[in-house]
Amino acid sequence: MEEMKMYAYKCKKCGKLHHPRYIVCQNPDCDGREFEEVPLEGKCKLLTWTRVYNLPEGYMVPWLNFGIVEFPNGVRATGQIGFDDGIETGMELVATVGQVRDKVIKYKETVTEPQYGFIFQKA
Amino acid sequence: MREVGIVGIGHTKFGKSNVPFIDMTCQAALEAMDDAGAKTGRKNVIDQVFIGTMAAGMVQRISGLASAVVDTLNLRPAMAETIENGPASGASAVKLGFMAIASGVCDCVLVVGAEGMRAVTGWEGTDFVATMLHPEAEYKYGCTLPSFAGLFTRLCMDKYGVTSKDLSIVSVKNHANACLNPVAHIRNVVKLDRITDERIINATNPLVADPLRQFDMCPVSDGAAAVLLVAKDKQEELGFGGKKFIRIAGVGSATDTHVVANREVPTDLLAVRLSAQMAYKMSGFTPKDIDVAELHDAFQILEIAESEETGLFPRGTGHLAAREGKTEIKGEMPINTSGGLKAKGHPLGATGVSQIVELVKQLRGEAGERQVEGAKTALAINFGGFGNNVVATILTTK
Ligand SMILES: [Zn+2]
Repeated sequence: MEEMKMYAYKCKKCGKLHHPRYIVCQNPDCDGREFEEVPLEGKCKLLTWTRVYNLPEGYMVPWLNFGIVEFPNGVRATGQIGFDDGIETGMELVATVGQVRDKVIKYKETVTEPQYGFIFQKA
Repeated sequence: MREVGIVGIGHTKFGKSNVPFIDMTCQAALEAMDDAGAKTGRKNVIDQVFIGTMAAGMVQRISGLASAVVDTLNLRPAMAETIENGPASGASAVKLGFMAIASGVCDCVLVVGAEGMRAVTGWEGTDFVATMLHPEAEYKYGCTLPSFAGLFTRLCMDKYGVTSKDLSIVSVKNHANACLNPVAHIRNVVKLDRITDERIINATNPLVADPLRQFDMCPVSDGAAAVLLVAKDKQEELGFGGKKFIRIAGVGSATDTHVVANREVPTDLLAVRLSAQMAYKMSGFTPKDIDVAELHDAFQILEIAESEETGLFPRGTGHLAAREGKTEIKGEMPINTSGGLKAKGHPLGATGVSQIVELVKQLRGEAGERQVEGAKTALAINFGGFGNNVVATILTTK
């Protein structure tokens, strides 16, 4: 499934990798506007994490763990951490993709659509 | 540039408002106008009204707030705009008021900050505030502002040795200050032992966003605050000659990456540093000149980090200064004499204006039991998003 993949976005002009998607390259010396999708997956390092007990509507769980990771190519990403025990800053993780939320759009009829994103698991 | 200063201040009691939202907003506005002696109707001299609010449209279902307030207060046909810059909406409104007068377009501007957050449930409020985050890279994961504060706090703990107890020390200090502030949301003495003792901590001070605990973050509040700005060269003519002129010596604001993970140094709050530098430069003051500061402590870690980014303390030592009591009212660098967001409360769009009101009180010598002796120059930091849009303001009697 196409939406089940996560990407880094490589500027076609200077090669800088981005996540998430931008409209203009974030390199201050480049004005690139075209990007090539590069799969963003696999091993990464946990930079920091938190366990949050007050969640927005729609999460029927007592808490969620969130982390910021850095991939070997230098790209960083925020996501959910898919396990509870032994979470430690600096540990190696593997980035998987799963459903992270139900997006609810209230317009005439209420539409609910799943949203996919990073779920980091034990390496 | 013309000299611009504050001649009137108003502030509702923060907490849970019992009056309609527009009434609450008008109450702060009228208090500031009465403080200055500004009249309504045919005698009105206010050229422009700016109202900072983040949630009026989404939470209160009231958009076009400034237009409504101008009419309710009989200030027509004064210009009116509603300003939205997240939790920094209030200071942005003050900044725009300053610019309007400094540029010569206006002579007198009324600035109000107002928010009614307690009309919705806690999770609705938390979710609403989280809509500031990046929709794809952050918000969709269920991340909230406390989540980012938790992620940021852990980084600061790892890098600088900030401890959970340090956060509690800041919290206890701000609660103590709020006990001296009649308009604060929470006016209870909080004892350090009670919220740090390992044996009872999970009951008295539970984790909210590990390592952040309940006393490491601000409550959800309703409230409004207002200031009346006037050009120095028109103060007499417009009828405000009897009022002490608290000059806005410098304003600055700066932005940072929307996606928090993409900051070059994740423990830096670059927009705080750059906005403060801009305000210092405009004012000609340096951190050494600051006698009292209101720093945006939506989370206690932010008071520590902002005290460093603004140059009040060297990098990595803000928590040590708090431990040593330097940031208490009688310390060498008093911070958040009002009680801060932690205890005075944090009605989003009102907060930036409320900080200015507190500093005007300090500079007028009207802060009562929480007065910083001889305060002449003051700094405010109003922090929007998770630090991606920050406004700094420097006030002085000089
Ligand atoms: Zn580029």
